Amino acid sequence: MKKLMALTLALLMVLSLAACGGSSGGSSSQSSGDAETGEFVPTKTVTWICTSSAGGGSDIFSRKISEIMTNDGMVNGQTIVVSNETDGAGEVGRNKVATMKAGDADYTLLTFNSGDLMPMVTNTKNRAANFRILAIMAVDKQLLFSCPSSESKTDYAKNGGDQNDFAAAIEAAQNGTFVVIGGSKGDDITTYQKLLAELGLTESQMGYITYDSTSDAITAALGGNVDFVISKPAAASQYVESGDLNAVLALANERYTGNLADAPTLSEIGDYENVEVPVWRGVAAPAAMSDAAVAFWSDALGKVSASDAWHTEYLEKNQLLDEYKDTAAATEYVTAYEADYMASNGLS
Amino acid sequence: MENLLSLLSGFQVALAPENIGVCMLGAILGLIVGAMPGIGSLAGCALLLPLTYKFNPTTAIIMLGALYYSNMYGGSFSAILLNIPGDSPAITTALDGYPMAKKGRPGQALMAANLASFIGGTIGILILTLTASGLATLGLKFGYAEMTIILLIAMTSISWLIGENPIKGIVITMLGILVASIGMDTLSGAPRYEFGNMYLLGGIPFTPFIIGCVGFAQVIKLINEREADAEKRASDDSKTKLSIKESMLTGHDFKRILPPILRSGVMGTFVGVLPGSGATTGSMVGYAMQKKFKSEEPMGTGAIEGIAASEAANNAAAAGAFAPLLALGIPGSGTGAVLLGGLMMWGLNPGPLLFDTNPDFCWGLISSMYVANIFTLIVAILVIPFLIKILSVPVKYMIPIITCVCIVGAYSTSNSMYGVIIMFISGIVGYLLDKNGFPTAPMLLAFVLAPMLEQNMRKAFIASQGSLRIFTDSALKLVLLAVFLVLILTPTVKSILRKIKAKKAQN
Repeated sequence: MKKLMALTLALLMVLSLAACGGSSGGSSSQSSGDAETGEFVPTKTVTWICTSSAGGGSDIFSRKISEIMTNDGMVNGQTIVVSNETDGAGEVGRNKVATMKAGDADYTLLTFNSGDLMPMVTNTKNRAANFRILAIMAVDKQLLFSCPSSESKTDYAKNGGDQNDFAAAIEAAQNGTFVVIGGSKGDDITTYQKLLAELGLTESQMGYITYDSTSDAITAALGGNVDFVISKPAAASQYVESGDLNAVLALANERYTGNLADAPTLSEIGDYENVEVPVWRGVAAPAAMSDAAVAFWSDALGKVSASDAWHTEYLEKNQLLDEYKDTAAATEYVTAYEADYMASNGLS
Repeated sequence: MENLLSLLSGFQVALAPENIGVCMLGAILGLIVGAMPGIGSLAGCALLLPLTYKFNPTTAIIMLGALYYSNMYGGSFSAILLNIPGDSPAITTALDGYPMAKKGRPGQALMAANLASFIGGTIGILILTLTASGLATLGLKFGYAEMTIILLIAMTSISWLIGENPIKGIVITMLGILVASIGMDTLSGAPRYEFGNMYLLGGIPFTPFIIGCVGFAQVIKLINEREADAEKRASDDSKTKLSIKESMLTGHDFKRILPPILRSGVMGTFVGVLPGSGATTGSMVGYAMQKKFKSEEPMGTGAIEGIAASEAANNAAAAGAFAPLLALGIPGSGTGAVLLGGLMMWGLNPGPLLFDTNPDFCWGLISSMYVANIFTLIVAILVIPFLIKILSVPVKYMIPIITCVCIVGAYSTSNSMYGVIIMFISGIVGYLLDKNGFPTAPMLLAFVLAPMLEQNMRKAFIASQGSLRIFTDSALKLVLLAVFLVLILTPTVKSILRKIKAKKAQN
């Protein structure tokens, strides 16, 4: 018993040490850059925090930008290390960036997307104002897809509903047949809620099933578990090409081009306003980042967004819209987006 | 026939020198990573993924595939020798493997695990080769209701898995479910049981929790047994020495393990194909199924059938999980999801067209699995005599070594001390539970399965608008339900019958 007590005590000591170690790591302030001209030039390794796991969309975004920055010599020969910090569903990493002290703050970047902002404002006290928003790099929009060849498992499909015709689905929902839409967390839920409000339907007429990722939601559509699935063009593109998915509704103000051109917008199929919820990908930094560093990084990100590599290897491949906003425009945009999101979700 | 021709051309790719090289490298790394407590295929692939970004995609996936694959072999080593499952699919291997090693047959236990892995894996790869896309479509037929019932079957089987006391099994299963529900509710995004703590918002991370419960808890146990061990060593001079020859299975052993291997191999492949369930679910279902068949010794006391059933199933499931990944771009498991990310990073578009647009890649990978499987088997058998030496390492040296590996493994999951803290806490809790006769394996398995059960059940109810009809409206569901009912009622009926018999005998 004595041994056990001693062991427990020892462990407690280890734990408290560990806890301290976690929070006090590397706050050594180092004056950086060219003090005389007041311009910022990186002189040590830059840490790029990505709050999603390796291999995911945000990770690819972060690594691509840092690759272009390094290859094109924008960072004074320094390296950029992408660090995937996924504790607390990403909130821990975001909080670490928000509360970072001056000095290190100039060398810390954070991948910050609309999908990160929504859970952050919902579940924590962190707000976009706790960061410096450096830039918005790309914007994505969504569509509704369906898989008519799948086995009928939903009420709507079993009752002979046409999964290629969203107008018919709206009518069926109004007449009491349950229609179910699938999609990912975050952005897709917001889009669904906007769509529902515009159609004047309730959740018990047109329901929503949340999946961990868009690929899970598409899987569900292929298996006939949902009638429609919300997806960005890139994730669904392969399936559209192979004929497994059909684009049935563009959640945008204008129709898409290419193999998605057949999907009408909402205003085309009935007396509704178009529903468009932009999904943006941006880069943020600690609030304590110096103005000189903010100017430097915002400018560097601008150069990336103008580069050929960015267009051919990232935007085109992921069918994203090129939409660079510098720090001033991005801050304004994100602030407005956050206010709108909080208002529509009753957050204060 | 077409598939076989494609396979042959795949072998041309897989047998290119650089691909054989990375395949072997992946296999060896996988064995090592798998044998280290807690660092399973998920962490292994995630850690190696960034290194492969510059590779040619085929070479990269061959390496990661081999790693994933051989992991299933490596995981059983530490499970059998130290009662520390190297990764989560090996949890069920430890249930019989460790007792069998204690009975003085560690060599045979390892050999049985290797052979079962090999044959189970081969069954999985064969099925994958012959049916590839058809198999993946079959997986899609399973809706939420079917998955819910399958998971219910699995969950109710585990509480009876081990220990003489089913009540304790149920209590511990419930505890696993509770721990699993910490974090964000995956359907509504609402936080649960996070007590205002930002870290808990992401839930209890799987890997550190498992490392703690099995690895570190075992370390504490070793600390307690340290002196007893030293005495035993002093009195018992004969050092454990085993050659490969002495580890060979007898014909009788082989006859015992063959039926479970074949059953588990087929079953495991199928479980691997189902969306969201990987090798862990596979090995569990395999083991639970073996419980329903006769084994020579009772399961859990070192029955060689138990080792064979779970090892064959997990290797088969690992192979099966590739079917939806390649044919539909759907990850069958956590590791599959990491590989999927890799595919995108390497510039491929995973999806239904992958077999058409990149046949070299797909068939190269499948044929490399044959190569990796044979290669891993050879290495795994050759390494047995060295592994057995682990048993002769004095406990006082084992303690710091295993502790270090536990800390590294827990840290590596999210590169933060949070994982390490979780590891220590769950280690202490796991030790106390074990000491009081609560087996921890059901808790870990419930921890894996409960979120899947919850999601599937709730999705089923959303789709049916709360009606129970969704569980009974097809023949397949009714059959599954019947299996479920038989399974949960059997022990009760059996014990009632036993009581009646005992009464009769008394009279």
